[in-house]
Parts: sequence; structure tokens; C-alpha cells
Amino acid sequence: MQQNSIRNIVVVGGGSAGWMTAAALSKVIGTQNYSITLVESELIGTVGVGEATIPMITLYNNVLGLDEDEFVRETNATFKLGIEFVDWRRLNHSYFHPFGLYGVDMDGIGFGHHWLRWMKGGGNPDMGLFNAETEAARQRKFMRTPEQKPQTLPKINYAFQFDASLYAAYLRRYAEKRGAVRIEGQVVRVNQNAESGFIESLDLKDGRRVSGDLFVDCSGFRGLLIEETLQAGYEDWSHWLPANRAAAMPCARAGDPIPYTRATAREAGWQWRIPLQHRTGNGYVFSNAFISEEEAMQKLASRLDGAAMAEPRILKFVTGVRRKCWIKNCLAIGLSSGFLEPLESTSIHLSQVAIAKLLTVFPKNGFNPALIDKFNREMQYEYSSVKDFLIAHYCVTEREDTEFWRYCKHMDIPDSLKARIELFKTRGEVLAPPAELFKETNWFAVLYGQGIVPDDYHPVADVISDHDLKTRLARIRSGVQDRVNGMTSHQAFIDRHCAARPGEMSA
Amino acid sequence: MSQPIARVVVVGRDAAGWLSAFALQRAFGRTGLTVQVIELPSQLSAADVYAALPTLSNLHRLLGLDENEVVSACAGVYVQGQRFSSWSRSKPDFMHAYDTQGVVINHVDFIQYWVKARAEGLAVDLEDFCLGAAAAKQNRYVLSKDTTEAFSNAAHGIHLNARTYVRLLKQCALKTGVVSTVGQIASVNRSGASIQSVVLSDGQIVDGDLFIDASGVEAVLIGAMPEAPFESWRHWFGADRIMVASGKRLTPLPAFSQISAYSNGWIGLYPLQNRTGMKCVYDSSRQSDERTAEEIGLTTGMRIESEVVVAPLQSGARARPWVGNCIAIGESAVVLESLDAAYLHVIQLGLSRLIAFFPVEADALVEADAYNADIAAHVRNIRDFQIAHYKLNQRFGEPVWDRARDMNIPDSLVYKLNLFAHRGRVALYDHESFEIENWNAILIGHGLMPRTYDPLADALPRAEQIGKFKGMLHFIAEEVRTMPSLDAHLEIHAPYTGAGAK
Amino acid sequence: MNKPLEIVVVGGGTAGWMSAAALAGVLTRQQVSVRLVESDEIGTVGVGEATLPQMKEFNDYVGIIESDMMRKTNASFKLGIEFVDWGNKGASYIHPFGAHGKPTGSIAFHHQWVRALQAGRSYNIEDFSYAIVAARRNKFEFPAGDQTAVNSTYSYAYHFDATLYARFLRDFAEARGARRTEGKVVDVALHPESGDIASIKLQSGESITGDLFIDCSGFRGLLIGRDPKNGYEDWSRWLPCDTALAVPCARAGQFAPHTRSTAREAGWQWRIPLQSRTGNGYVFSSAFISEDAAAAALMENLDGAPLGDPRLIRFKSGRRLKSWRGNCLSIGLASGFLEPLESTSIYLVQMAIVNLLKLFPRNPIDPILISEFNRLVDLEYERVRDFLILHYYVNTRDDSEFWKYCRNMDVPDSLREKIALFVHRGHIEKYKDGLFAPPSWLSVFLGQGLRPKHYDRLADNMEMSAMIEGLDTVRRSIRERVQAMPDHDAFVRDYCPAAVSDRPHAMMGAHA
Repeated sequence: MQQNSIRNIVVVGGGSAGWMTAAALSKVIGTQNYSITLVESELIGTVGVGEATIPMITLYNNVLGLDEDEFVRETNATFKLGIEFVDWRRLNHSYFHPFGLYGVDMDGIGFGHHWLRWMKGGGNPDMGLFNAETEAARQRKFMRTPEQKPQTLPKINYAFQFDASLYAAYLRRYAEKRGAVRIEGQVVRVNQNAESGFIESLDLKDGRRVSGDLFVDCSGFRGLLIEETLQAGYEDWSHWLPANRAAAMPCARAGDPIPYTRATAREAGWQWRIPLQHRTGNGYVFSNAFISEEEAMQKLASRLDGAAMAEPRILKFVTGVRRKCWIKNCLAIGLSSGFLEPLESTSIHLSQVAIAKLLTVFPKNGFNPALIDKFNREMQYEYSSVKDFLIAHYCVTEREDTEFWRYCKHMDIPDSLKARIELFKTRGEVLAPPAELFKETNWFAVLYGQGIVPDDYHPVADVISDHDLKTRLARIRSGVQDRVNGMTSHQAFIDRHCAARPGEMSA
Repeated sequence: MSQPIARVVVVGRDAAGWLSAFALQRAFGRTGLTVQVIELPSQLSAADVYAALPTLSNLHRLLGLDENEVVSACAGVYVQGQRFSSWSRSKPDFMHAYDTQGVVINHVDFIQYWVKARAEGLAVDLEDFCLGAAAAKQNRYVLSKDTTEAFSNAAHGIHLNARTYVRLLKQCALKTGVVSTVGQIASVNRSGASIQSVVLSDGQIVDGDLFIDASGVEAVLIGAMPEAPFESWRHWFGADRIMVASGKRLTPLPAFSQISAYSNGWIGLYPLQNRTGMKCVYDSSRQSDERTAEEIGLTTGMRIESEVVVAPLQSGARARPWVGNCIAIGESAVVLESLDAAYLHVIQLGLSRLIAFFPVEADALVEADAYNADIAAHVRNIRDFQIAHYKLNQRFGEPVWDRARDMNIPDSLVYKLNLFAHRGRVALYDHESFEIENWNAILIGHGLMPRTYDPLADALPRAEQIGKFKGMLHFIAEEVRTMPSLDAHLEIHAPYTGAGAK
Repeated sequence: MNKPLEIVVVGGGTAGWMSAAALAGVLTRQQVSVRLVESDEIGTVGVGEATLPQMKEFNDYVGIIESDMMRKTNASFKLGIEFVDWGNKGASYIHPFGAHGKPTGSIAFHHQWVRALQAGRSYNIEDFSYAIVAARRNKFEFPAGDQTAVNSTYSYAYHFDATLYARFLRDFAEARGARRTEGKVVDVALHPESGDIASIKLQSGESITGDLFIDCSGFRGLLIGRDPKNGYEDWSRWLPCDTALAVPCARAGQFAPHTRSTAREAGWQWRIPLQSRTGNGYVFSSAFISEDAAAAALMENLDGAPLGDPRLIRFKSGRRLKSWRGNCLSIGLASGFLEPLESTSIYLVQMAIVNLLKLFPRNPIDPILISEFNRLVDLEYERVRDFLILHYYVNTRDDSEFWKYCRNMDVPDSLREKIALFVHRGHIEKYKDGLFAPPSWLSVFLGQGLRPKHYDRLADNMEMSAMIEGLDTVRRSIRERVQAMPDHDAFVRDYCPAAVSDRPHAMMGAHA
């Protein structure tokens, strides 16, 4: 147990996780009374595969006080309105999982119920008509919601698609400007206190020693501190999420970038397409039990819509989560804390959630076991709920055309997920608790998109007359149309506000 | 002795034929009447559109048709009015909306205050005080609710794909018990004004007590009756040809028909859910068909994406559409330009009056005179409404329009125009189809500005009047903002799925 | 434009003071100055007047409070007119203010009634009129606001003392700026070129100018009659009555909420119940009965002691060719006369005033306003005329020459066609505006003895037993609701007890 106050924070590993941590710390706790040191090695490449995010990133950006247009420019980013899932339910089928909400909740129940009533009565089965983000995405449009009182049209919820390495670089500049110190070097030894086991310092290859009070492990999959040193243990989820490899390669852009990510289901996994301002990021997430790395890379290269701009790189991973993300005076953020495939763009979010939690329970004079337990429990919960959501994409499918899909369709799934799916099939809701990241509307989009048509819906939806229901729906639809009609094209918006300067290409 | 009518034979085609059969079957089918249709070949092309006034919904109600279902099946569109463009060179276009303007204040009609305010420098148009017009211009669908009902009377006309509509009417009519034979009339057995039977070209003889001639301008039955001459209105309506075509679907969907004047006539655009109907009415002696087709493209800025179909046009009416036991419904009785969506209205009028005057005795058709007087009065008033468009045009230096402006017009219309020109008041006669607000809209729209206004309007202090005007404009703007777009309304209530008539 | 229009009303009485009250009540002093010239010497006709429900709208428009008016004019309520011995002796029917039954869809009620009749179910049509059932039981209350309630299907009007009414209106008008000048008009000066009235000269020598002169001088038509070109269209061949004898009597018998018109040997007798007395009169044709015989018949048929000698009024049914000419507009008896058989006199005054307000002129007066006014007024007069003629024409009385004449007279084509269509198939035309609505025509057609040979075939769509049940239900609900109504007498005493005790009329001279 340390008696001294905590003053020196050491972040091990760069990349987005490390620099997000450093930047946030440098802003929130500052470097007047603390020292923030980040140790990274340029030799150890960072994963940086062209990253998509979710709207929660704005919370993080706001904490840092980032100017959004500047941030977009610096990271060659484009805007994202949601994810298009192609071929997941069956071949030649696609659905859109948007940000924002469908319609408007009315009479105390979710919009989904009203919509189900209408759809079952012969209405158009395309729920996207009632979501501004979906309609805008279809028309390749984008706009930030203008300030306007009163707000009569639906808001536009969005996130970003950016070059992760540029993001890291951007945040590095931010952090260093605020007094964070970067040390170039490779850690060769971790020194622990003999009694407590707390980490005291790190020895670098060049002989320097870096001491610290609090250590943040952003060292990636290996978990240099959390796992190799403190042996947190890893809960393996690959029986539910069998993908264990990703092949990534960039290609030239094909026309104007679209304002959404595309995830296309493939023979042994799925392929992402993330459009940036200057190029398109692509990747094939797969299980090597169902396809070889060679074949996967070939397949990926043959399915690009622009000229390849580099050779594909392979990343290996195991889906799962550290049994404890925080042990003693060390916590893991980023890939070191766990891994969930980027199917719903959750990586950066999970890091930022951890950072936020760290700031919330930031230790002053010592480490409070109760707070550490809370941190660990909550991070477990976060990862677990996202895991269930991802599994749903796989297990709810009509595809049986390859071994991989046959496996996914028939695999055993967590009881909690089974119950949720059954409830949705029965009455069109999942009753997701508020603390979860993915809300009712997200579950609806994915489960319905994947092919579950609820048998029934909430009885309150039947109360109003048919005519009144249609009147309300027409108003909502009209609002969506009006909002989207007022939007410019995605490219035009970027050109106007936040075009990256030419020549700013990524490594 | 006095037997009731047992058999009605409808010799006709298209909307006139099927509406007649369907309406009579619905009204009297359960009282021992049989309705048989001799279906003549259709004169509709794929490009034809029926445009209807709000009154058609009354007929649909009688027929037991759900309007949304009809609109949905026929790729139809609800409209709040008609926009007239280029009828005047200097004035902008105007909207003839199916709605009132402003509200009565202190027992004085709103238009009086408006005329006064205009003289004092107000720049706002009369139609800006009309909720229906505002909605039309913003392509909204007016939903009436308590707050708007006190202020506005907005109603919806509709556009329908003609062929699909006719198919739908036929299907529904047959389901209710109408019997149908496809054929042509070879001859008519009659003595004097009484028709005993018609003989089809295949030899079939069809008897009947009452015969409806719904054959359009062909007028197969009534045309042969000497007591029912057709009076030409060529001197008022110079056009002698109609061209019909189709353009692409407009997005967003306009909530109105568009009537644009050009050098030799006018061109109408009638939006549907899957295309836009185009119609040009013109004088063929001044313009070839080819030139007309070009003109459609030039005036509307739209490409013709279908075949172009041409038909002759001869405006006029029979003074006696009911002779003996033969009643003409539709163009066999009255031919008007389709300027004010009058085509279907005239059919509806003929049918509703026929149902009201349906003969109670098969051999003493006492009702004919009353029916003829009633229809003649209605038709006169509709005709006058149409003549007004031409008379008031402000296209100078073009022979067609100069002639229209200089022509002699019926006294009934002269009186109306004079009273309005002096005092902004519409003299309504008996049997009018258009209300005061419709006349207001077109007379003011065409630039007939009243010279004086009702002095009783002076009792309202200026400040209060300005306040009330502002209040109305604000109310309209707020209400229109809450209305769904026409597109959204149709998507939810009456989407066209391409499946055609059920 | 800024100067108020100077209006001079010549003649008091109902027409004059209604005009003055309306103009002063509706318009501001910036818009109009109203001056009324009348002479106390010249009596007004004032015969105890019955009205139509349209009076309510007029009161609201002008700003007159109903209970106030009723209290000050000895008034009672009126639900319709009972016609006794018209059509044929022994018959009695009521022409009510309100509908019979309710329509089903677009099928008017009476077709159902005719159908029932032809099927052997003979209902009394009067049982289906709320106003009639209430009137016959001497009940009254205001109609319900809820349109679905059976007691919302009627309206009402008033009986009042015309002299008191004129007085009431005079107070009302003067309080709003109208000026009264006592005097007799002896001369009218015209503009040499236009023929318009330049001024009127009173017996006192005073000369009065104006922009618009409203002639309410009664039959004499002091102003409107000056113009030889503006003749009088004579309708006496259709409406042969030309004399009236009027006498009030003490209130006795039932205080009925309706007027009564009893057909007599050579005309008809009215009975108008007011709060403190009853007005009576015999309207007759002097070609068919002498004045003495008529007076005797009148006095024999009063239900209370007479409160004076009968007053004689002579008249000619018909009207001015043009009600409004130049700057002279005639209202009331000066513009035309139709006997008070259907209480239309005050209505025609109201109608003219309302049309004047709708077409209110500036100075100089535009002829087009005059044409439109005349067009509207002419139409109403003609329709009312035809309706009155109907009462005389359709009769089966052969007990006097008068009725035989009426039965055989050549009536206007418009009326002949209406009757033919009704007899053939029960058809009744509905006007967009104005009198008389279908329920009125129906009650008089049937009351006078006509029966449609056929009914509208649409009525056959109703299943017979359902239709009969519907009829029974309506009849029953009317009966039940009427039973619960207060008495007319009690209602009036509570709502508008007379403020002035009755004064005897000033004696009037006869007018030619």
C-alpha cells in the first residue's frame, strides 16, 4: 500500500489507446501536479486499420475541447451515419443499422411497436423511412443539425471514420502540447515492489528507467503489464465469436466517400469498408479454422473497389476480455484489456469508456480496492453486453451456405442473448437495461435486419385509430424527408467545412 | 299502368360509362333495378390522367369506395388546387386553391379588407391568406383539425391514372351486380323519343326501360335524337384539339395541377405517383401536332417520355341531355375543356341529379324537364367559370389570346364580372358548382382588381386590421409547418405499389 | 370617402325603425348619419305582428337582446302557424319552424312517410315534427344545442306588438345616434338631370337633403312612387285579397306558441297571441265579401272581448318594379305588399336591410349595386309570392265563390311545376339561400291535401321493418321529450314578462 500521493502516471504503448489516455489525462488532471509519460516504440507498429466510431466519441472530444472540423481535417476523416450490413441475413440482402432513433416514441411505448402495427397492417416493411440517418445515408448526404429553436425536425446523429494513426498523431500533438512527455523506447523489464507486487518502474532497452505511481497498459494484445506481469487472465469468447484474424489493406477511393461503413458478410467472416477522405480502408475479419490466411488475403484483394495501395497485413487476435482490467496500480486500456471485432465499431469507444471511468475514480493518495472492483465489474459488463450484441449478428441468420455460417447459425449462445431474442420474437422489444451501450433501437435494427419479424407488439400500440396512427406516421415521415431534403451531399459538406489538406497522407 | 323502371342500359365507355353503371346500381340495385352495360371500346390512352375536383369524394362515398384505396391503386395524388401560370405576361402565377381566403370580420367578407389594404400599399396576395394555397405551394397535405376548421375549408381534389381508374370502377361495378357486354351499337330501335332496344354489331338485342348514353362525344344514342341538338361553344373556346403525353415523376410531388398558358393554348401537368400526365389544348389551325409536342417540352421544361396521343375537341353542350327515355351523361351531354377539372364533375353532376330525379314511372318520364333545367343551369355556370379564364387573360399580341379577350361573353358572366370589378363581390346564381372563394381566386388571380371596396370595412381600425392580417399569416405559416408533405402522406396512407387495381 | 353617408328614412313603423336601428347599430358615426322623418299624425299599420326565425340572426347582427326586446313588446314565442279550414273545411295543419323527422343519408324523411302510407301504415306527418307537437300542447323552451338531440330539430320566432316594437327600435336607434324629426313630407325635389332626390320638404317648411333616401312610407310610397317609370307589378290576380280589418281582443283561451290562420268565406282570419292581449284580423277580398259582412264575421270569431273597433286597411298585392332606384330605396310596404299569411312582412324588411348592408354604397351610388340589390330582393319576393299562392290555389272548398276562384286561377309556371313534381314524386326543390325551405313546402303541400303519387326510389333501400321502427322511435322520442317541456305561458312569464302595460293604439285613419 502506497503512502505517498500518486503523481507520476506512465502510459505504456502509443497508438490510439495510449494517446487517447495521455491526451485525456493531460487535459483533465493536467501536468502541473502530475507527470504524464508515454513510452512507445516506433518499431512496434500500431494496428491502425482505418477506424470507424460511434457518436459517443463526441463526449470524449468535448472533454478535450477539440474543434470538430479541425479534428476531422487532421485525421482525414469522413462522417458516419451508421453501418450497412450486406449479406448477413442472406446473400443479396442488406440492412442499415443507423445512429439516432426510429420515429418518435409515443404514448409511453417505443416507436417500434407503432411501426410494427402499421407494418403488419400492410405498411411498407422498410423501417428506414422513419430514420433521418438512414435516408440521408441512402442519398449520400450529410449535415450537422443546425441550431434552431424550436427543433421541429429530427436531429442527425453521427460519428466519424478516420485514419487511426493520424488520430493517434493528432492526440499526441495535443497531449505533448499540454506537457505529456513521450519517451521513445522498448520496455524490456517491469519492476515490481517485492511485497505489494505494485509496479514501480520499467526498464527500457536503452537502459533508461521509467518510474511511476500509476501505470496504464496500452501495449496491445500481449498486455505487457496486465497479463505478462500481473497475470490477470483472459476470458476467451471465441466459441461465440470465432473470428481470430483480420487482413487489412487500404485502396484508392472510388468516387466520393459515402457517409457510412459497410460490413459485408463473407464465406468465413466479414469484410469492412471504411471510406476516408483520401482512401478507403478495407479488412477481412475471419476465422482461420474456416479459411487460410493466404486465401483470405487473396479474397480481400480481389474484392476492393479501388486500386490496392499496400499489401495486406494480418493481425491475429483472440476475442475475449481480461478477467481483471485493473490490478493493483495498473490498468489496461485498449487491446490489452480485451478484444471484440470491430463489427459495430466499438474499439475506440471501449477505450474511451475505460478512460472516462479512470477519470471518475482517479486515485489520489492510494488505491481503493472497492473502486478497483467497481472498475473491473463495469468494464466486464461493458464488454459482455457488446459481445452479446455482436453474437446476435452471427447467430440470427438464414445463411447456411458455408461451414462457417452453419457453425454460427447453430452454435450455442449465451442464455441472456437467447432470452432477448425470444422476447423480441414475441413482442418486438428486448427491454435492454439503460446502462448498456446498445439500446432498444439498436437491437431492433439488427434483429429485424437479420430477419426476425416479431409476432406481436405492445398492446398500447393498438389504442389509437388506424387513421390517427397513419397521420402520426405521415408527420414523422415528412419530418425525415424535410430534414434530408435540406441536406447537401456528404462530399460537399466535407469540402465546405473540413477538407483535409492535400498531401496529408497517412503512413 | 305505372310500373317502376326495371332495366337500365348504359351504353358507354371509360369513366362516364362505369360511373353511371356503378352509381345507379349502388343507388337502386336493391330496389329491383338491373343495370346492364354495353361497353364500347375505350378512348383512353396510357398517358391519360383524370383530374377531379373535391366533389368527387362525395361520389366515391356513395359508391362505397375508400378514397385512399382508389388513390393507391391508381398511382393517384391528392391536390389542394390548380396553379395557373403565364395567363398574364406581367403578373406572376396564381393558385386557385380549394379553400376560402381569410375570415369574415364584423360581418364583412375578408376580400373587402384585402382590397382596401392593397389600395393602401399591402403587398401580400389574396391567396396568401388561404391555408389551402399555402399548403399547395409547399407541397403539403392539409389535415383538417379543430384549429383549422374555424379558419379554412380546405378540400382535396385528386389525380388518377385514367385507365387504372376505369378498370377499378369496372371491377367494383361488376362485383355489385352490374352486367356487362363488350360490343358496338349497330342500330337503335326507337319510336319517337322512346328507345325500346339497341342492336349490337353481333346481332344481340338489348332491351331496356331507360338508356344512358355515356359514350362520350360519339353520342351513339342521344346524337341521333333530333330533339337534342348539340350547341357548339367554339366562339368561346377556340381550341379544337387535345394532345396527351407523359413525363417523369416529379419529386417532391407537387400538391397541385399546373396549368400554363402559351401562345396557342394551354398545357396542363398532372402529377401522379409514378409519372406526370401532360395535356395540351390548342387550336390546330395555328399549330401543327409536331410543334405542339415541342411546345409541351419547352413550356414545361420536361421531356415527353411516352407516345403522344391526339384527339379532336369540340366544346359545347346539349340543351336537353334527357330526351324521352335516353339520358346523356358526360361528354355526350357536355364537352368542356379540362381547365377546371370539370370533366369528372360534369359526369358526377349528371348522375347525382339523375338519382335525385330518377323516374318513378317507366312510361311517364315527368322528371326530364326538371332535370334538363337543373343541368343546364349548372353547366352554364361552369362554362362561365371557364370562359372567365379566357376573357381575363393578359397575353397581348397573340391572336388566340387577343381574340379571347375581345370576344362577346354571356350576359350571366358579364354581370358577374362587372359586379366583381366594381366591388369585389361575387353574384352567385342558383345551381353553381363553384363557390365564392373559387371565383375570388380566379378573378383576383387573373388581375381583375375591384375598383372599390365595401365601406363597412372602414369600421375596422387600421392597427387592428394589420394585427388581424398578421395573425392570419402567422397562423397559416405555423399550420403549414406542421403538415406532412404530400409525399409522406401518400407513402403512408395511399402508396402506389405498382400492383394495379385490386 | 371620409364623409359619412347621409341617410334619410322617411316613415316610422316597423320598416322605418328597423332600418334606422340596423344602420345605427351596425355602422359607425363615421360611416353613416341616420335621420328618420315620421309623423305622429300618420298612424302606422301595426297589427300585432308575427315573425320568422331569421329575426334572431337580425337581432344578433344589429345588437338587440332578445329578452329585452320581448319584454318591451308584449311578445310571445312562435313555433309555427296553424292553418285551420284551409284546403278543406275541418282540416287543421301546422306549418312549423323545423324539420319533420330526420333524413336517412340523402333520402328526405317524407319519402319514408309516403312509403309507409302506401304500405298501409298511415302515420300523421305532424307527429314527426317536434315544433308541431310542442305547439299543439302549448309548450315552449329553447332548442337544444346538441345537434343529435331530438329537441334540437326546430327553431322559433316571436309574436309582438308592432307599435311597441317600433318604439323599442326607435329607442335603440336614437341611443346609437339616429335622429328623429317629427314632420310630414309634403314635397320632394328632384335633381333635374338624374331624377335623383335632391331633398324632401316637410309641412313645417324644413327641407332635408340626403345621399340616400329610404322610403318606408308604406303603401303611399311617397318617394319611390314619384317616378312614373317605376311602376307597380300587380299580383292581385293570384292573391285576390285586398283588405284587412284588424282588432285586438282580451287574452282568453290558450296562450298558444303559434299563430293561427283560419280560412273564412272570402279570405282568412289571423290570431296572434301576445302577453296581455290577442291580435286578430280578417284579410279578405272585397270582390267577394262586403266590409260590413267581413267585420261582423271577424267580431263573431274572437275568443275574448274586443279591445276597440276594427281598423280597416286597404292594399294591393304586388310590388315595385324596382325597389331601389337612383338614390331612393324602398323598404317594407313601400316596396311591395304580400299579405301576412306566412308572417313574411318583417322578414322582407330584414332581407332588404341586410342586402343594403351587404351592398352598402358610397357617394355617388354605383348603379351596379342597385342592380344587384334589386336582383336579390326580386328573387325573394317571387319565391314568397309563389308560396303564398299555393295556400289559395290548392284547395277543395266549394262553399264560396272566393275559393272556387282561387282553385281555378292561372298560377305562375314556376309554382305549377313545383306542385306537379311534388304530386308526382314528392320532390321539393331546395334553395341555396332564402325562403322557403323544404319543410315549409312539405307542410303546406300535405296540409292543403296533396299526396305524392310516388316517393323517391332511394327510400326503398331501407328494409321496411327497420324503417317503420325508425319512424316509431322518432315519434316516441318527440312525444316523450315534449311532455317534459315547460308551458309556453310559464316560460314567457319567467323569461320576458312584459315591461309595459298595454296601451290602446292611437286611432288611425284609413289610407288609400
